[in-house]
Amino acid sequence: MPVPETFPTPTLLPLGDSAFLVRFGTTLTDAANRAAIALAAMLDNAPIPGVVEIMPNLVSVLLRYDPLLASPAAILGELRVRLFGLADAGREPRRWTVPVVFDGPDLAETAEALGMSTEAFIAAHNAPLRVLATGFAPGFVYCGLHDGLVLPRRTTVRPSVPAGSVLFAAGQTAITATDMPTGWHVIGRTAFSNFDAAGHPPTLLSAGDLIAFEVAS
Amino acid sequence: MSVILKLTRAGPLTSIQDLGRFGMLRHGISASGPMDRTAYLSAGQLAGGGQGGIEFTMAGLEITVASGRCRVGFCGGNFVVRVNDQALAWPGAAELGAGDRLAITPGAWGNYGHLRFDGDILAQPMMGSIATSSRAGLGGLDGRSLHVGDVIELIGSGAEPVVPVVRERTDGPIRIIWGIHADLFSQELRQKFLDASFTISSRLDRMGVRLEDDDKVFTDATNLSLVSDAIVPGDIQILGDGTPIVLMRDHQPTGGYPRIGTVITVDLDRFAQLRPGSAVAFRPVTVEHAHALLRGSKT
Repeated sequence: MPVPETFPTPTLLPLGDSAFLVRFGTTLTDAANRAAIALAAMLDNAPIPGVVEIMPNLVSVLLRYDPLLASPAAILGELRVRLFGLADAGREPRRWTVPVVFDGPDLAETAEALGMSTEAFIAAHNAPLRVLATGFAPGFVYCGLHDGLVLPRRTTVRPSVPAGSVLFAAGQTAITATDMPTGWHVIGRTAFSNFDAAGHPPTLLSAGDLIAFEVAS
Repeated sequence: MSVILKLTRAGPLTSIQDLGRFGMLRHGISASGPMDRTAYLSAGQLAGGGQGGIEFTMAGLEITVASGRCRVGFCGGNFVVRVNDQALAWPGAAELGAGDRLAITPGAWGNYGHLRFDGDILAQPMMGSIATSSRAGLGGLDGRSLHVGDVIELIGSGAEPVVPVVRERTDGPIRIIWGIHADLFSQELRQKFLDASFTISSRLDRMGVRLEDDDKVFTDATNLSLVSDAIVPGDIQILGDGTPIVLMRDHQPTGGYPRIGTVITVDLDRFAQLRPGSAVAFRPVTVEHAHALLRGSKT
């Protein structure tokens, strides 16, 4: 069975001497992101022997191996077979509702830059999204892709925004789970916490989950 | 029987480490673990391998045994070690009893040393590891560096110590595998990168080591905007202002700056030990060659 047309052709690259990167594109597209999530899900469900960690990224998947214990050629061979049959897992994605207090310091400016009222921006922003990727920082998630709501990052970086900040830039909404610096527009905050160091697992949201933001009551 | 150790002198980057917290990249947490993994393992053999160890820096370290007896092994870089003012060989091991004082001061070379004990370091494992992540602020003692006055408890008696084969310190270029963005750099620039000499800057920590680009290889490099991808230790990123940075054990889990190369596993410990002001050059090898080096079938 050939790779479905909706999935871009992957590039297999060594990343150092203990990992491979499977890259489905060099720009963020819906198709490349879906392919990365589908491959990671497939490898999670049926691991390749010798692969010790799988990490889906925005448009790629990392496969780590121990070169003293595994044959990279065998891993690559198996990976090519898996890629040939790559399809959406068919698994029903998990759904999350995230309540947001839209009172961020950049909210008004963001709506204005998009030529919208604040109310219209919030309504458009709260259309259903997907978790595109995790892993940038503990519990941090990228959600997207917003249809038509595209704004570049700010020209200056805020040295620290608190955990639970709701950020907006580049057609995406991100949620922070730890304090961090950011150049994204801060549009709101949420009480939803996606990181608990003592939890098993420590984060709740996974790439591919469906997410709906709503105005917190 | 438990052993109580007290830190009586510590530099700012002293931390508890074990082999690392693997498998947590998708949760946003890099593995951490010893800056000189080989030395960490050797120190463990010398001590009789309890869980975890104390990583210290050029600032040195001093610990006093408050109660109990233990065996300590030490390795990594070059340091001067004394027990109650009596000098011992480095790397090496010692038996310590209540009231004994172990003092370590910097020697001729290296940034990091590792202390291991026969007992296990008592600390709360987070996600299966007691390694301290300076980036995520977890592991070790409350996710922080060790301070003067900290008390460390050891439990258990460990295994029979082994005298490890400690490799001779080697010089020469740091070997790399071409990076996932090497194709974005021109052939000419890649050659300049290999011909150039860089200097280890004073801006280094467990997250990364910034290099001074003395030959201005990347001064005019275009600031590319890339989709972020997973990072691995040893990745050489070129920041927006042209500064090369080698990402280390507490690296960011993902990164969006171009990566020209990745330091191979057998050279990453050696790289970590290069002090600020040291010259460094890079040489590419194949993945197969890197694996042969790791297996010890090539040198």
